[in-house]
Amino acid sequence: MSGPVSAHSGSLGGYAVKALLKRNEFYLAVLILVLCMLITAINPAFLSPQNILGFLKTASVNGIMAVGVLFVLILGGTPDLSFTAIAQVVEYVVVLITLAFGGNIVIALLLACLMGAAMGAVNGFVIHYFRVTTIIVSIATANLYYGMLYVLTGGSVIFIVHPMFKRFAEFQLVSFADAAGGTWGISLIPLMWLATLVLGWFILTRTFLGRAIFAMGGNEIAAQRIGINTLWVRVFVFAFVGLLSGVAAIAHTTIVLSAIPNSIVGKELEIIAAVVLGGASLFGGKGTITGTFLGVLLFAILRNGLVLLNISSYWYDVSVGIAITAGISISAWQQLKAQRARVNVNVEEAAAQ
Amino acid sequence: MSNFLQLRNIYKSFVGVRALKGVDFSVRAGEVHCLVGENGSGKSTLIKIISGVQPADSGELLIDGVGITHATPNEMIHRGIQVIYQDLSLLPNLSVAENIAISQIAMIGRKLIRWSEIRAIARAAMARVKIDIDLDKIVGDLPVGLQQMVAICRAFTSDLKLLVLDEPTSSLTKAEIDNLLKVVRDMQANGIAVLFISHKLNEVLAIADRVTGLRDGCTVGTVPRAETNLEKLTEMITGKAVVHTRFHLPAQPRKKLLEVRNLSKKHNFADISFDLYEGEILGIAGLIGAGRTELALALFGISPADSGTITVDGQERRIGSVQDAVEAGFAYVPENRLTQGLVLKRSVGDNIAMAMIDKCANAWGMIDRGRRTGLIDTWVRSLAIKVANADVAVQTLSGGNQQRVVIGKWLATEPKVLILDGPTVGVDIAAKSSIHQIVRDYAARGTGVILISDEVPEVAINSNRVLIMRNGRLRSEVNAEAVGTDEIQRMVEIG
Amino acid sequence: MIRIPRKPGAAVDGPLYVILVAIIILMTILNPGRFATMSNIESMLYQLPVLAFLSIGMMVTMLSGGINLAIVSTANFTGIVTALMLKLMTDGDSASASATITIIAMAVGFAGCLLVGAFMGYLVAYLEVPAILATLGVMMLLDGINVVLTGGYTLSDFPDSLMAIGNDSVFGLPIPFVMLVVVIALMSVLLSRMPFGFKLYMLGSNPVSARFSNINAYKVLMGSYILSAAFSGLTGIVMMGQFNSVKANYAQSYVLVTVLACFLGRVDPFGGAGRLSSMVTGVVILQVISSGLNLMRADPFFVTAMWGAIILVLIVFTHFESWFGELRRMAKATAVNSEHGNGGPGKDRPRPID
Repeated sequence: MSGPVSAHSGSLGGYAVKALLKRNEFYLAVLILVLCMLITAINPAFLSPQNILGFLKTASVNGIMAVGVLFVLILGGTPDLSFTAIAQVVEYVVVLITLAFGGNIVIALLLACLMGAAMGAVNGFVIHYFRVTTIIVSIATANLYYGMLYVLTGGSVIFIVHPMFKRFAEFQLVSFADAAGGTWGISLIPLMWLATLVLGWFILTRTFLGRAIFAMGGNEIAAQRIGINTLWVRVFVFAFVGLLSGVAAIAHTTIVLSAIPNSIVGKELEIIAAVVLGGASLFGGKGTITGTFLGVLLFAILRNGLVLLNISSYWYDVSVGIAITAGISISAWQQLKAQRARVNVNVEEAAAQ
Repeated sequence: MSNFLQLRNIYKSFVGVRALKGVDFSVRAGEVHCLVGENGSGKSTLIKIISGVQPADSGELLIDGVGITHATPNEMIHRGIQVIYQDLSLLPNLSVAENIAISQIAMIGRKLIRWSEIRAIARAAMARVKIDIDLDKIVGDLPVGLQQMVAICRAFTSDLKLLVLDEPTSSLTKAEIDNLLKVVRDMQANGIAVLFISHKLNEVLAIADRVTGLRDGCTVGTVPRAETNLEKLTEMITGKAVVHTRFHLPAQPRKKLLEVRNLSKKHNFADISFDLYEGEILGIAGLIGAGRTELALALFGISPADSGTITVDGQERRIGSVQDAVEAGFAYVPENRLTQGLVLKRSVGDNIAMAMIDKCANAWGMIDRGRRTGLIDTWVRSLAIKVANADVAVQTLSGGNQQRVVIGKWLATEPKVLILDGPTVGVDIAAKSSIHQIVRDYAARGTGVILISDEVPEVAINSNRVLIMRNGRLRSEVNAEAVGTDEIQRMVEIG
Repeated sequence: MIRIPRKPGAAVDGPLYVILVAIIILMTILNPGRFATMSNIESMLYQLPVLAFLSIGMMVTMLSGGINLAIVSTANFTGIVTALMLKLMTDGDSASASATITIIAMAVGFAGCLLVGAFMGYLVAYLEVPAILATLGVMMLLDGINVVLTGGYTLSDFPDSLMAIGNDSVFGLPIPFVMLVVVIALMSVLLSRMPFGFKLYMLGSNPVSARFSNINAYKVLMGSYILSAAFSGLTGIVMMGQFNSVKANYAQSYVLVTVLACFLGRVDPFGGAGRLSSMVTGVVILQVISSGLNLMRADPFFVTAMWGAIILVLIVFTHFESWFGELRRMAKATAVNSEHGNGGPGKDRPRPID
């Protein structure tokens, strides 16, 4: 799956290598490889399929939401902060509704998508019509949704969810027997993540809508002059973020098999950090699905690695902090260097006087 | 020739302000039609209406004799009208191919895109314009010249009938304009018309078939090129005659203020040496991309030079920051008044005091209000800035008055060397000469002035010496008092 | 979105004062006999400074066109460093620390927060990292360091001298509140009467023009982030005194509340505009609402929801207000003369968001 910006680059050879070296994804992939080798050297259990599938499954919730974050960052400007609150509300409400009325997983998923999209679309409309920065609007809606959830439900934890979530969680596409006599296999949850990645990639690189998102991130006024309906594109992006939050909510429910009202909220900055580390620009117009995937993967491996290496999970936050601070500093420094080396004038070699 | 585009009695208001009050004019198929007018005359509003970005309040817009009721950008592109905006309106984060093809893809209304189609559209457009740029390059990484070519290619994608060029010479070099017009002339046989919007009258006269003047939202008339000249055009758009006098530097012994030797900066300029004496106005002329502004930015410490010496008043100065430059006695009125010169939302007073605020502080480190107000009042008065009081936001001022604020800010620092970069861009013709007069007055008091401008006549008329730059190097020095404007113009173009 | 105040004084804050009075009346009615009491007022005076210090710290960075997401993490960091220093210098019996030891520990903690501020300033000013990213990174880093330093536990039992900062009063006023009054006075002088404040506003309005106009952007940005971190440090010390404990994740939700306070106080999130008095009034409004709802035994999350709703209402309100303002200005401009303001190229283009 290649990034949208260079998806159409055809020339190979030296040019391609140079382009590769310029890309964030390349360094991120190298970093992940090194990290994997380090962890494996100390604890070979890291590379076992069970472990890999395990942390991929856990990372799926963040990974699905990260695709939405990528869309918002490409659209331009400051990130949305409300998507975790939306996921939280959706999770709680869907669990309550399915407990009360039954249903099946498809209906639950549809319901979650609809609710999420509607809540996300509100952000899009408010941002577009009132011309207020995303960060303020999304703080407002996040507080409103999340606060309302607590007020209306009393914030009590639901320990028993509809049995279909458990069935869904235990469903395995391929199963193998393990040494202990149990089974392990590929569950549907990482596949939900994969499907989200493919959908995101398809929209960004293969549809006009996707290119319009890039166009608005690059130069909104020019996009308008080209004839792009900026209202529709903006509302779509925020509704899509909400929709993915709904999907993430379902994934999360099937993993934890409960509804705890503060189990998703609070992760938003970490997810944004992963997407930024994956090469998405806070100035808009730049970012790839590959990078986003790698960013989420890096954090997932870090978390998993610390567990396997028996290092206190306290160090997880420190390592994430170092990763993000170092990542942004390095890329900022590179940008400064490029800026200084820019050719403003083609200076003639010698004065021909 | 038939009229391709016709506007009848167009009115347009923005929340209470009438921008257009009955505009009538027409563009014939295959002609180069120029639209001239001062700032606020309604040129940009007119472009918005022609391009479908905004609807007119009333009046008729006819294309090929057919009235258009609901104009949208897509509709107008569909009917063959393409606009190259002053800022080029490119998407810096996307590839060349996409930038060229995207408006056509939007017009066709494709939901899914095929990269092969995008590349085909882009190739076809480049073939029409007869240039070749790597389709996969990201536009933001291209030099400005190539970016402009991308914008031009984009206009040549569809069935082009009318190409609107909005102040193109602000961003295109003359060679590029010539190249563009050659392409257009080649296609005149197909009936393609050009609407050229500009305030540079000498350029207009060089290319127009017909000229329409716009003043205060009304058309003041359309004349064929053969029946007009610079004076008549000026009078048409300002409503009054303007006379230019040449700058003259009285002969007398003068102190050397600035000595620049072998100043170089990689990818910007090389081996620049010149002197500046008190009371002089030294012009620097050259095409866009010659390195004029880069030289000024190095002298002013924004992007310091790599090597060479700068000596002010006999003292060698190391200039690594703006603070160093101001300390050495430099002042710089930048190229772009709106983004570099002013803090638009703040008051006239704040803008004037900005460079001197540390000097306004008392022993306690607090701003002495009396000193600050005194400073501001002095410069509002002596530069005759037309403003009710100094607390008015600077963005409400006219272009000429805004530029006086920038100049005032720097004269307040009592500079030894005042560098002016395009001091009258976007300033009305009448206001231009008064700004030139201010500069001459301060030169007469002993300030050394370096005058940089796109407009060769501005440099030629207002300097005693002109340095001609090309490709980052100084090529020649001209005594502007003895050599004519046209000759200097010719030297700038050939280098 | 945010109008630039032309005239100083109450005229600009007028609507905010009206809201404040209305809310005080509302809360008094909703809490008969409980809101307008000495004990409630006193408790509000104790609570107000923490939010106010943090909000002022947030405002200082917002004025420069940035943001400081690490504001609470830095406060906790200062508290934790101070607590650990106390423990270290007293062999584990922090409560017995002498005044000198307490001062040294506080100084070390404060030096820590200044260092954090300088680091953020360096990232923003010299490496030109977008402030939101730089401070997000620092926030995560500090949160991690805080957890590692405390081992995830709460550190407590501080000397009386430190507790006094949080709980004692002078002239019948809580010490934190007296500190707040002093700080507001100093800050208003700094922001409106000193070159640093002037430069901060100019830089926030247009960083390029400011740089072209002899304003040292590096110095001003460094200054604003160090100042912001200093407010975090102050908050950290006051919180130590008030809670008699420090923890890695105290007051995390305050980050967003300070953004809200700034928005309520009409600090332009893009920089360059915002008055200290408006912002402080905004903080007071938030405190009154939160105390009032608390007295009503309202769910704390109802307060959260309220804050969200307030921002949304404010967004709509500001929008229409500026729209009317525009209409009035335009009408005036046409009446006076036809040579209205010329913004040059791009004057009435659609404004991009963000």
